[in-house]
Amino acid sequence: MQHVYVFEFNLSITRMRHVDTFTRLLIQVAFFTAASSESFCQNNTQIRGFVDAGTVFRDGRFAFNLGEQDLFITSDLSDRFSFLGESVFKYNIDSETRFSVSIERVVLKYNYKGNHNALLGKHHTPINYWNDTYHHGRVFFPTISRPMIFSSVLFPLHTTGISLQGLNLGKLKFGYDFMIGNGIGSTDLWDNNNNKSVTLAMHIKPRTGMRLGMSYYHDVLSKGVDPHHGQVIHHNLTEQLVTASVANFGDKLELLVESTMMLTKGDSIPMQSALFTYAYAGYKITDKIIPYIRIDNLMYPDDHETEGSILETKQNTYYLAGLRYQINYLAVVKIEYQRQYTGSNLLGNAITTQFAIGF
Amino acid sequence: MKINCLHYMSSGTIVPRVVFVIILMLLMTKGHAQQSLAVIANEKGPPSELSFVELKSIFMGERQRWNSGNKVLIALLKTRNKIGIEVCDKVYNMKPDEMNKYWLALVFQGKASAPYFFNSTTELQDFVAENPGAIGIIDDNVTVSDIKQITIDGKKSL
Repeated sequence: MQHVYVFEFNLSITRMRHVDTFTRLLIQVAFFTAASSESFCQNNTQIRGFVDAGTVFRDGRFAFNLGEQDLFITSDLSDRFSFLGESVFKYNIDSETRFSVSIERVVLKYNYKGNHNALLGKHHTPINYWNDTYHHGRVFFPTISRPMIFSSVLFPLHTTGISLQGLNLGKLKFGYDFMIGNGIGSTDLWDNNNNKSVTLAMHIKPRTGMRLGMSYYHDVLSKGVDPHHGQVIHHNLTEQLVTASVANFGDKLELLVESTMMLTKGDSIPMQSALFTYAYAGYKITDKIIPYIRIDNLMYPDDHETEGSILETKQNTYYLAGLRYQINYLAVVKIEYQRQYTGSNLLGNAITTQFAIGF
Repeated sequence: MKINCLHYMSSGTIVPRVVFVIILMLLMTKGHAQQSLAVIANEKGPPSELSFVELKSIFMGERQRWNSGNKVLIALLKTRNKIGIEVCDKVYNMKPDEMNKYWLALVFQGKASAPYFFNSTTELQDFVAENPGAIGIIDDNVTVSDIKQITIDGKKSL
């Protein structure tokens, strides 16, 4: 039975129906601290945005394209509470206006002790360096687009739930994220099954610009759900993701390598594994001019059944080479040559450019 | 154009001009390197002594709270200000653009609260004096009495 949450706002905020004890306590604390810390909101609320546009030359045709407009808001509500919200406006062919708004992140953060935080809301799942670092700000992306793994319908881009987080602990600047959420196939309002997704991620930063990390993700997907991109799961599926990351963004050399092992098991399907890896390297000729390359590789087993997208074939490889020009910290121009193979067959190639800004 | 260049060269003005520019650049460089910085803080929260490694870690947003429990509030001069540029160089070991990008990215990731940026040392000092947990960097000219100056590796100035 779906619970209906009804809030009746009055000065005592006691008339809340169908709200569990923990949630009521959290909301009361939030309102109390927000009401008693007006100066924080006035002083440190920031509204920023990111936009990108570009061109593509593919299959003998040239076109201009519009990327996303990313609206990003942060605010310190009190000494311990803070808020982060990210909304994206983007082209959507299925929308009457051809554009749609997506709430990408809504995070209420409580700093309960030292460098330890509790976070509630919709997050980018801290499953790898890219998803935890770049979000939707193309001005920060080292390349024009995300790695191919993000196209997988079983990749948990977002999780709506709660997490415990630690940052910069000890000499190695150890960090952790332990997240429980609604999981793939759920909505931002309701979990489609009784199983919660679990994410455990850890990293260290042994020197400036370097981060070494690992993560584990577990989820159970129900038969018939549409996890993402309109693909339906044909079986009850248990999914595990194990990811290793190496990132080093130094004075000259930039390196980012991540590999994810996906283990899936269905009702009548034996355990299957797929391996997603990408490697990025860039070199700062000057502070502004950075040539780079990236190779993405997605390897599925021969009888992979769980995904119906074009990436279902045995091996998909994506090569790109590009040049990034940093106009300043709020504006960057990139140009890339991209080449994609499915197995040994050339799927396509393209030359793309992107002008990404922040404001 | 050719005749003008010959006249310019033969007039003997180009060498003194080049020498003048070189001397000017050296003076500017020397002047830039001599800017001393002072780390100031509110009486509540920050300790009276820090190592440079600790100072850098704090200004990189790696610490959320002081041992007293006060939230770390970072106060900086905008990078249009020459002291702001000096802070980027001495504390962050970054150019101004890199430092701005670093903080924008960190706040965007949700990993830290944004620093407070000010146009003048007076505004910065007033903010530090009024806010427990605040720490900032200015030049040696500390004019507000309600703040303390923190020694870094035993020294009053950076």
